[in-house]
Amino acid sequence: MLRYIGQRFLQFFLIIFIANSLTFLLPRVIPGDPIQEALQVKAAAAGTQNVDIQAWVKSYNQKFGLDQPLWKQYINYWNDLIHLNLGYSLYDYPATVASKILAAIPWTLGFMSVAIIFAFIVGSALGALLAWPNSPRFMQGLVPLLMVISAIPFYLFGLALIWVFAVQWGILPSGGGYDPILILRWDWKTAANILRHAILPALALVLFGVGSWALSMRATLVTVLGEDYITFAQAKGLPDRNVFMRYGVRNALLPQVTGLAIAFGLILGSGVIIESIFNYPGIGNLIFAAISEKDYFVINGTVAIMVLCASTALLIVDLIYPLIDPRIRYGK
Amino acid sequence: MAAVKRGLFRNTKLNPSLIFGAAILIFIVAVSFVGPVVVNQKMARVGAVDPNLAPTAQNVFGSDSQGRDVFTTLILAVPPTLRVGLIAGLISVFLGLSLGLVAGFFGGWADWLIRTFSDVLMAIPSIAFMILVVARMDRPNIVVVSVVVGFLTWSGTARGIRSMVLTIRERSYTAVARANGETELEVLFREVMPNLLPLMLASFIGAVTMGIATVMALEVLGLGNNVIPTLGMMIFWSQRFSAVLRGMWWWWGPPIVVIALIFIGLFFVSFGLDRYLNPAIPINRARARARRAIQPGSTATSISRGAVLEVKNLKVIYETAAGVVKAVDDVSFALRPGERMGLIGESGSGKTTMATAMMRLSRPPAYIVGGQVLLDGRDLLQISDRDVNRIRLKDIALMPQAAMNSLNPVMRIGPQITDAILFHMGRMSKQKLDDMVGQALTKVGLKPAIARRFPHQLSGGMKQRAAMAIATILHPKVIIADEPTSALDVVVQQQVMSTMGRLQEELGAAVVLIGHDMGLITQFSDTIGVLYAGKLVERGSVQDVLANPYHPYTRLLIDSLPSLDGKHALVSIPGLPPELLNLPSGCTFHPRCPLAFERCRSEAPAVQEMQGGRQVACHLYPEHTELPSMHIKLDGVEATEVPYA
Repeated sequence: MLRYIGQRFLQFFLIIFIANSLTFLLPRVIPGDPIQEALQVKAAAAGTQNVDIQAWVKSYNQKFGLDQPLWKQYINYWNDLIHLNLGYSLYDYPATVASKILAAIPWTLGFMSVAIIFAFIVGSALGALLAWPNSPRFMQGLVPLLMVISAIPFYLFGLALIWVFAVQWGILPSGGGYDPILILRWDWKTAANILRHAILPALALVLFGVGSWALSMRATLVTVLGEDYITFAQAKGLPDRNVFMRYGVRNALLPQVTGLAIAFGLILGSGVIIESIFNYPGIGNLIFAAISEKDYFVINGTVAIMVLCASTALLIVDLIYPLIDPRIRYGK
Repeated sequence: MAAVKRGLFRNTKLNPSLIFGAAILIFIVAVSFVGPVVVNQKMARVGAVDPNLAPTAQNVFGSDSQGRDVFTTLILAVPPTLRVGLIAGLISVFLGLSLGLVAGFFGGWADWLIRTFSDVLMAIPSIAFMILVVARMDRPNIVVVSVVVGFLTWSGTARGIRSMVLTIRERSYTAVARANGETELEVLFREVMPNLLPLMLASFIGAVTMGIATVMALEVLGLGNNVIPTLGMMIFWSQRFSAVLRGMWWWWGPPIVVIALIFIGLFFVSFGLDRYLNPAIPINRARARARRAIQPGSTATSISRGAVLEVKNLKVIYETAAGVVKAVDDVSFALRPGERMGLIGESGSGKTTMATAMMRLSRPPAYIVGGQVLLDGRDLLQISDRDVNRIRLKDIALMPQAAMNSLNPVMRIGPQITDAILFHMGRMSKQKLDDMVGQALTKVGLKPAIARRFPHQLSGGMKQRAAMAIATILHPKVIIADEPTSALDVVVQQQVMSTMGRLQEELGAAVVLIGHDMGLITQFSDTIGVLYAGKLVERGSVQDVLANPYHPYTRLLIDSLPSLDGKHALVSIPGLPPELLNLPSGCTFHPRCPLAFERCRSEAPAVQEMQGGRQVACHLYPEHTELPSMHIKLDGVEATEVPYA
């Protein structure tokens, strides 16, 4: 068991190492000077056209250590990463990347985790109903619909939802995390406001999520229902419902739970587009704004966090899987 | 090559998802070829028409805020979008294929390296990584972007191909090819490549989807090329000019519909391909139909005198794509209380089908189409679901084949016993329940502590004993033991069988022991029934049948047994068991029968009553009173060479 855990950790660090080396190296082999581009954007925004950009770039390069040889930059990069020092924002200097990410993360975690859990529960239940041999026939008609829903990129639902709920009916806000005029306090008014703003982006995710969770649950369950232990459970005389729940659903839930853990690992990355469409103040919007501001350090830092988050989730899945599935033991 | 054809086109009926998806994709591809030629491309330039026009007859989808005709832009946006997918898909499949092949064939550290690298790629959220790369580019080049996407998405394909290569390498024909002096590489190309085609097709569709989705996501985020219109850029532009909030539905609506069509087409094609690759996925609707298919036999439910269970004219069919198969054909027999009946047959003779049908557990594609299973004056095949549930386990219990898989892997043994007790006997105290479970486990030679274990913590023999404990816990009148020891080694087999014999004596239950092992069955049973191609061809007491078999098939079965005195050489039965789909005419055994004559080829023999309550289905009787001696060489090698017509 210790050996298994040790192996998994070794692999985890290897993944982190290679992934972060890639995030360091790849942008640097692609031509382009991010500092210059960022400063040009900034200068244009400030209306100062005739500053000596070159001198400015030089001072910035010095400040961020970008004039040093590559291997030194690489060592610095790791050193900074280990201390979770992700550098400064180019656009908002002297705001640090870490402070920007910290400010954005709660928003993303909030609406995404609610959406993921809700979609998981509703989707899995729906998938179970679809695989239940005694459920009404019309349920089968839902399958193509779910297939369509889970095939379409979900941010497109976002546009349609804004159009229906915000533009046509005007009952929900079209974007943002809260009303701009609202002063954020720890009170019910703020909470309700935030909730109202989270409904549409979350709904877009839920629509998509319900479709894909339901389809995967149905597929697993149909396979499970063909297993010998289902026949034997029926031979014991247990009622269909009992066999289905205790013997079918219980086994089919295992891969679903793995999927849920992975979905949580990708939580920071998977909402990027929906947040940018809804102008939602989370990680996605941070990266979206950084793209248009050419704020390269913010992009780099955010991606590093996403990679860390995803690989940690994979590690956790590997470590807890033997706990939820008694068949799999550590060490084998 | 033939193997591929069978794999990919096994289902003769075309799969509706595949047709639907392919139709959509063909339509889209056609538009991408014809569209740009037909439309006036100038209309898609900035400022070609007045901005913000609502749809009119001339501009079907109006114009955007920069004065582009939306319809023309939309048509022109389709080919670059598809091209992105094509490039990413080709690169991804190429990389996945070659790396997967390398990993599968060479193994060792090459395999380790590739697997680790694909793990890394799985851990990197591809969209985040692409943002990182593309944000550095001055003007994002979609070709470069799609190439990078291809490089990021090969890991799934590589994994699939690797495991497929490993499976194929294990298969015998690869070994045969190697034995014929072919090099590893020749084997790779000639034997393995064709088998990979179906998987590659599915991987390609997956990579195309990934490619289009990733590039589109980047474009929507603003990381696209502002000059070339693509579907993603159209969404981005409409977003930047707040088209949704300004109510310009004609601007963002049409591209969404086209995007949705592309993804739906791809999804349905890959779903359809999956159906071909894994045809085992059963169709839900068929499951529900199984019960309705039971045709009432005779309404009389009178059971033969002295019998506890009577099977009358039982017929079970399999509905397969290739046609209807009669798996159990008109089988009848009666069972006395406490009788140990052995039911013997080769694989494919309908043994397990019989067992499940007698419990009314047949599942599609198996359907019980006729006959009766009478127990206590009731026809199991006619009573309600609720009633049949009450009878199962309490009056008639199944001891399953392959107990390895018959226990719920995620439930401890105890609850798997108690749920049955609670259902049949109602609530009872925890103490009493534990006692019952403990007793049942002790009776089959297990410690009561086993109740707290999971099935995977038990050995094969222990699992079989646990299944035996479940089957006997309510003291059923009839136990159907379906090859209960086939998965165990010989020593454990003997132990389990002796436990079963002891248990049977204690309970006084009638047992139907189903199996293919003549020795094991005759040792255990009082009476024996011989199944051949779904028909019961002989039945009688074990002593009578062994001493003086009536049916030639039974004779051959007995002669195939090794005897301790070593007086006769081993005989194997000539030919192969018949294919149920393509049964011989007349008596289904005639092609293998040394005594077959003209009548056997044309007319199926009926079951005849013989002396001493025995039954046989053979045309030799009643002309003969016993089986004539058979002139086949008692030499296993020559006998097996009797051709099977």
